[in-house]
Amino acid sequence: MKASRIEIFKEALKTGVVTKKYPFEPIEVPEGFRGKPSIDTEKCIGCGACVSVCPPNALSIEVDAKRGVKRIMLFLGRCIFCGRCQEVCPTEAIKLSREFELSSLNSKDLYQVVELKMAKCKICGRYYATVRQILFTARNVPKDQRPLLLLCDECRSKVSAKYISYARW
Amino acid sequence: MSLKLFRRSLWVYHLNSGGCNGCDIEVLNIFTPYHDVERLGIKLVASPRHADVIVFTGPITRETLPKAIRAFFAVPEPKAVVAVGSCACGGGIWYDSYAVIGGIEAFYRILEKYYKVRLPPTVYVPGCPPKPEAIIYGVAVLRGVLKQKQRKTYFLEKEVPTLTRDFIVNLEKYMKQGGEISIGKR
Repeated sequence: MKASRIEIFKEALKTGVVTKKYPFEPIEVPEGFRGKPSIDTEKCIGCGACVSVCPPNALSIEVDAKRGVKRIMLFLGRCIFCGRCQEVCPTEAIKLSREFELSSLNSKDLYQVVELKMAKCKICGRYYATVRQILFTARNVPKDQRPLLLLCDECRSKVSAKYISYARW
Repeated sequence: MSLKLFRRSLWVYHLNSGGCNGCDIEVLNIFTPYHDVERLGIKLVASPRHADVIVFTGPITRETLPKAIRAFFAVPEPKAVVAVGSCACGGGIWYDSYAVIGGIEAFYRILEKYYKVRLPPTVYVPGCPPKPEAIIYGVAVLRGVLKQKQRKTYFLEKEVPTLTRDFIVNLEKYMKQGGEISIGKR
């Protein structure tokens, strides 16, 4: 069947204008849209779970031993908005918002940097974990074992090995 | 860096530099009646010699690098670059692959090193793939119609409680007294 031009014109009039006036009017984003991830600086404990799970390594973590600071960097330019960091975060600090207008003229604007202070080991004086991470784990540890959290991994294993050997003999 | 380079319509040359075709579909999507950017004067052209703007979609693989360089130099001055998608912005999930140059920045490093050219203004549109509206927004930022929202944020933790044996053993008591100790509130 071949529609005449008048019929097509009638159909077009019935449909009306479908074009969105986007750059001049805001649009609504559907629910569940995975947009810009951002780290809540109050909640983040710097455990690095999101870093280990991020497929494109958009999240990176490094220890600044001179300043005693752990740096978590989120580079949106490489993020693929999969939401795995949100799933794995123990404190729900990193979340995907529904924001999608992320374009920037400089790639440095796509970074989010969070620096958290670290604690020193009481024996060897090495920076080993962020203060927030120690306090977060301390709540799930029985009170008599909590002082062991003030030591770094190596010193902790040495001290606990000593305790075990005392208990045996 | 507002762009007053282009007084008139932008003509766009779309170059797939090794992407997965996701961003290409989104780029073509903005020319459909639903988003219709031809109302804003943006037009897709077939040759880079006709274009003002070159759109890269993809992490610039080794195979597409010579073609990307040729297309880049074929665009007459003044020109601008739109990097669409995570791959073009920073390499995406292939950022450290042997077969990939690694995004538009690595491409610029090659251009600076071997050709010594002045780099054009570039707009980065992250997303995997970005929404069609996000691409329109990126072009609007490039033209200076809309303002850039995204800024670098930096946070440094200022005060931390001093960790002592007494404090960590009686943590619950101190938290009740002091109240505000931020340790990853659930």
